[in-house]
Amino acid sequence: MRTAIEYAVFTALAIIGLATLFALQGPGAVVDSALGSGGLLLEVAPLIAGALLVSAYMQLLVSRERIARLLGDQSGLRGLLIACIAGALTPGGPFAAFPLVVGFYRAGVSLPLLVTYITAWSLLGLQRALVWELPILGHNLMVIRYLVALPLPLIAGLIARRLVKLLPDAKGGP
Amino acid sequence: MLAGTIAVWVFVGALALYAHFRRSSVHKDVLKIAWEQFKLLAIRLPLALLAAGALTRILPQDFIAAKLGGASGFEGVLLGSVFGAILPGGPIVTFPIVVLFMKSGATAAPLVALVTSWSVLALHRVLIYEMPLMGPRFVGIRVASSIVLPPIAGVLAGMLLG
Repeated sequence: MRTAIEYAVFTALAIIGLATLFALQGPGAVVDSALGSGGLLLEVAPLIAGALLVSAYMQLLVSRERIARLLGDQSGLRGLLIACIAGALTPGGPFAAFPLVVGFYRAGVSLPLLVTYITAWSLLGLQRALVWELPILGHNLMVIRYLVALPLPLIAGLIARRLVKLLPDAKGGP
Repeated sequence: MLAGTIAVWVFVGALALYAHFRRSSVHKDVLKIAWEQFKLLAIRLPLALLAAGALTRILPQDFIAAKLGGASGFEGVLLGSVFGAILPGGPIVTFPIVVLFMKSGATAAPLVALVTSWSVLALHRVLIYEMPLMGPRFVGIRVASSIVLPPIAGVLAGMLLG
């Protein structure tokens, strides 16, 4: 049932997107866009396959009890800080970070900590900031952006803690 | 992307090797779990990619540049937050677009909000990676927790700059 709803949502998104494109730019743009998506799928597929294996190995190898103690629901502020630092130190794009996130989630890391982790990875990731942001945007904007981003992963994690209590998990797991 | 793929598979190899020496029966279970996940993705991922691709082409860059350059104060911060969320693509695509906005007169506070929003909300990343891999509950809670961050960042940046 849940998967049926998900498929419906994804199908609707694809149809709405392509229909809007058709209305604005005609059939040629739709074909171009679909071909581009097909190419991206071929690029992403081997990556996703690897990601699924990484997350499956982590799920079976990592001790759930130890993870739950360090990074579970009861881990408090220390857990949030660990997640924040780990996120900032994780290099690479979503292809590198999300296999880890899936693996951590299944190994018992709490959802709010993963929200903090993803937020820290996307905002404080040193690699992206130094390799792309600094050279292209210049140091003025980059330094200000980085400074104001420092507290944000913790804020997101604390909000997520509230929301998790408001929206209890029906089935569990991704 | 190629470097990322190679890195992930090197990681798979290392994990497999480690697992083999700890408990060699683990590989079969791993394949079973991965296969279950793959079956779900086989339909979701192509649809997500179609949607994300169309979104990229619909986005009106010049319109955003004009709006952002003309706005000021909190209005600019809010506009930056909204535009950042729908900017598609990775850093190689996005940061040059941000430079374009800078040149058309956008000030630092809206741009900080925009980059923050693009980082945490990134609609294309949600569609391609997060939604198919993590499911709607996770994504819903994460996005709801992050939606206030870009305005906070923009306002803080405005205060820092006086």
